[in-house]
Amino acid sequence: MRELVLIQPGRVLVGRSEREEENSRAHREFEERLAECGPLAFRVAYGVLRHVADAEDVAQEALLKAYRNFGRLREPARFRGWLVRIAFRMALDRWRSAKRRERRETQGEQPEQRSSGPTVEELAASSEFRARLERAMEELPEKFRLVLLLAAIEGYTLEEVSGMLGIPMGTVKSRLFFARKQLVEKLR
Amino acid sequence: MNCERYRDRLIGTLASGESSLAGDVALHLVTCAQCKKFHEAQVHLFGAIESGVRAMVNETVPATLLPRVRAQVAETGAPRRMRSVSWGFATVAIAAVLVVSIGLLRRSPQYVSKVPSRSSVGPQEATGTRPALPQAVAAAPKHHCTLAKTATVPQETGKAPEVLVLAEERAAFERFVTDLPEERDVAVAYTRPATEAKDEAAEIALLQIDELEVKPLESSNR
Repeated sequence: MRELVLIQPGRVLVGRSEREEENSRAHREFEERLAECGPLAFRVAYGVLRHVADAEDVAQEALLKAYRNFGRLREPARFRGWLVRIAFRMALDRWRSAKRRERRETQGEQPEQRSSGPTVEELAASSEFRARLERAMEELPEKFRLVLLLAAIEGYTLEEVSGMLGIPMGTVKSRLFFARKQLVEKLR
Repeated sequence: MNCERYRDRLIGTLASGESSLAGDVALHLVTCAQCKKFHEAQVHLFGAIESGVRAMVNETVPATLLPRVRAQVAETGAPRRMRSVSWGFATVAIAAVLVVSIGLLRRSPQYVSKVPSRSSVGPQEATGTRPALPQAVAAAPKHHCTLAKTATVPQETGKAPEVLVLAEERAAFERFVTDLPEERDVAVAYTRPATEAKDEAAEIALLQIDELEVKPLESSNR
């Protein structure tokens, strides 16, 4: 082992300076993405948790995790999709643990019954509808749910969602289609 | 086509996000009051879902989020470069596993059972039930020495054979494994392809000898 170092004495030192340079570059690149991707991570987490403080915690954890592993990312262009998945997964984990806690505390509670005949605005604004929509969203398959949330975030087109998740545009549309259809069936 | 099918198509159109209905469906809505009412209700429901989901995600981002992340990042330090390091260690680990596996393979009964036949040239085999070790070892070629030794273990104990390696090999391997965590850069250098550095010709100064004393060889004096 020592012999290798002696044969190429400059090798280790060169490696170290390269690493410092790489770290510095990774730090700069991460900082550039933070302003854009921070709100995105928060919104994805909020879409799952619907609690500002919890979503902020999750977004912070996700961003930190993304930063720690930023050097491992082979394609920096995929950072957004990568972060979105991290944030979504972490938010789901937190939501599930909160749900388990909640179930233990309030066992046997019946779901609320739907009301009939409100207008769109009344329907969307009513807390009852929101609660039912949230429950219906929670029952959606994860891949449908993520696409639905991302497509609903302001400023993101379906093309961007497709690029973000690395899936074809047709897949985004079909997931949206099935997500909406399932929601309607649950909420009808 | 009955109303149920028209309603399915209506839902399909709304779920796909299209704004205009197919011609026959639109025509049906003109003639069927119940389907028209159903269509209006579905439009309301889809609209409510859309706005509900939008409200669900487009919450104002707290102003504290980015400063908190920046503070945490500053505490964390440099991002990990796990890929190269982990690959380096993975390669070394695989190499170590291979070495152990080959050792175990060599100790396996199928392999070991070949050894007595090679060393059967020993004179003791014809007379005794068990071949005497020194003769077998002496008769075998030098590189079979370890195998000949190990071949006697299962016969004597009947237990699973132990891995026997040369003391020098064992000591060298132990040194290698012990030094490895302290010499990460070297371990990485072992496994990582060398960067394409442009080698420059080294300049070596000519050997200069100020005083050269030539003595005759002893043999030349004779």
